[in-house]
Amino acid sequence: MARPVKKSNRPCDDPRLDYKDLETLSKYLTPQGQIHARRRTGYCSKCQRELKQAIKRARHMGLLPFVGS
Amino acid sequence: MNLYEGMFLLDNNVVREDWNEAKGTATGILEKHGASVTTARRWAERSLAYTIKKRNRGTFLLVHFEADPGNIAIIRRDLELNETVMRYLILTAEGVPEGESELHEAELSGDFSVPEPPEDHVVDSDEEEAEEGEGATEEAKAEEAKAEEAPAEEAKAEEAPAEEAKAEEAPAAEESATEEAEAPAEEASESSEEQTEEKSSEEA
Repeated sequence: MARPVKKSNRPCDDPRLDYKDLETLSKYLTPQGQIHARRRTGYCSKCQRELKQAIKRARHMGLLPFVGS
Repeated sequence: MNLYEGMFLLDNNVVREDWNEAKGTATGILEKHGASVTTARRWAERSLAYTIKKRNRGTFLLVHFEADPGNIAIIRRDLELNETVMRYLILTAEGVPEGESELHEAELSGDFSVPEPPEDHVVDSDEEEAEEGEGATEEAKAEEAKAEEAPAEEAKAEEAPAEEAKAEEAPAAEESATEEAEAPAEEASESSEEQTEEKSSEEA
């Protein structure tokens, strides 16, 4: 039996996740600063990759923590 | 020529002196290598998520510029060497976002003034030196204290080996004496055995 196709929590044709949008990105971080897993975000793999890239860019610029306090 | 988006984290100490100078260092590097800056504006002044180059706060400059893709590597190298730019991020952009050019023009107008960045909890080099100095004196005291204790120990140590040496010599002498004593005895017994064998053969 084929696994049911999981629908993304986020419409994939939305504008790209931006590293400057810290309000949105910080929702997907644990208190320790880890990125939430896909089962938690409910994103499709493409959106999750976009989220990962945006968070990592924000971390590089010192906008988001690598390790939370 | 491609359109790029650049984000630069600028040192607050330079920003405090003159915003336009700080901005000029970043845009100057871009223009030096043939890039044309479309928009450049102060994005935010905020505290950093972690300490970067001993700074806990920084000012972010958002730039949209057109540049030759071949020159990006050279621009990156120059930015790495610059001390005013603490971090940078260069991405390709599809277009200049709406409202960006208006904000850029608003900054160019005479009314615009940059609020002074708040004080950072920067560790001053003088404080560091003072701490190091204190540490050094404490270490020196500790060493002196050790040095005072050490001679007494050394003196004891000097006495102790002499005793040991004597103790070592004495058994060695005893051993050599016993060995010498044993050796002739063995020889004597061996010779006596030989003599007896000889005697027996003669008898046969």
